Amino acid sequence: MKRILVLAAIAAACVRPTRPPKDYSKLVSANPRSILVVPVVNKTVEVNAADYFLSTVSVPLAERGYYVFPVNAVKRMLEDDGLSDAALVHGTDPTRLCALFGADAVLFVTIEQWTAKFVLLSTEVTVEFEYVLKDGHTGEELWKERQVGVYASDSGGGGLVGAIAAAIATKASPNYMPLARQANAQALGYPGPGLPAGPYRPDYRKDLPSPDVATPAPHQASAPTPTEASK
Amino acid sequence: MRSLARIGAVAFLAGAGLGCVPKTLYPWGGYDDALYRHYKNPQDRDEFVAKLGGVIDEAEQTGGVVPPGCYAEYGWALYEEGRANDAVAYFAKEGKQWPESRPFMEKLIKNVARVRPAAPTAVPASSTGEEKK
Repeated sequence: MKRILVLAAIAAACVRPTRPPKDYSKLVSANPRSILVVPVVNKTVEVNAADYFLSTVSVPLAERGYYVFPVNAVKRMLEDDGLSDAALVHGTDPTRLCALFGADAVLFVTIEQWTAKFVLLSTEVTVEFEYVLKDGHTGEELWKERQVGVYASDSGGGGLVGAIAAAIATKASPNYMPLARQANAQALGYPGPGLPAGPYRPDYRKDLPSPDVATPAPHQASAPTPTEASK
Repeated sequence: MRSLARIGAVAFLAGAGLGCVPKTLYPWGGYDDALYRHYKNPQDRDEFVAKLGGVIDEAEQTGGVVPPGCYAEYGWALYEEGRANDAVAYFAKEGKQWPESRPFMEKLIKNVARVRPAAPTAVPASSTGEEKK
């Protein structure tokens, strides 16, 4: 019992409580070891956002315990094969894409929104990213997540001058990395909306909800919720 | 209830210490930053190649696992530099380290051999994955 409470509390410490639970059954049964990340589709006017974003995906994804294909080599090889348009790649049958590289699953990322609003003392950037993981053998969708975030540049210190400097620096040469990293960390984190541990993590197959949680049986007593545990 | 709260607090700290603060699986050594700079300044190729090489050296020298994709990424960069033999060696290393990459690496090795058939040591058989750059 104690152990359950401790686990629940650990979960509570990590999970953002407002998230609705996700159905992981397809992902768990597909059990991918390797993930192909294809070039990012960019629906915004920030012309370089897609490539910049692509450079930030491998690290958090591989840290979830999956083999992640070399994104730049994949991108260049697709270009050599006449698939230099990311939208064209995203429109390709996922099973065909995965067969090209021998991948178990493919991750499609789309930048839906990237709006910078320059107000007097700060820059406010609104971003929206969509992540879709599809099975390389069946083409089925295994996992999906949408991240919407508003980030302001005026949170740091430095007073008035610092705030203005930050805003100007952002406008002249915006650095996308911190923003993209934060979005990825939130989207891929687990427990949370992200991916359960892959085969290269020590907690592989140990961090999953128990089967009776995946297919709820109302007559069975479930583990206490985080709020109950902290009462 | 008091003791429960205490357990909760301890568990929270444990969670903050173990579950949430990430200890990385791999020494990434600025791999993402190298890619980012490459996309931002594609003309700075030397820097890109050197940085990717640095990621591998750092991981190998500290006894860490070279992160997924890094041998292959470096191999591809070398291939683009016209260093086909070195490229093949690194594709072989990726395949050896990460079995999931093997179909792709074999394909890349074949492609390199096809594109540069004249290069005397460009044949995959010559690369055991052991040679140093």
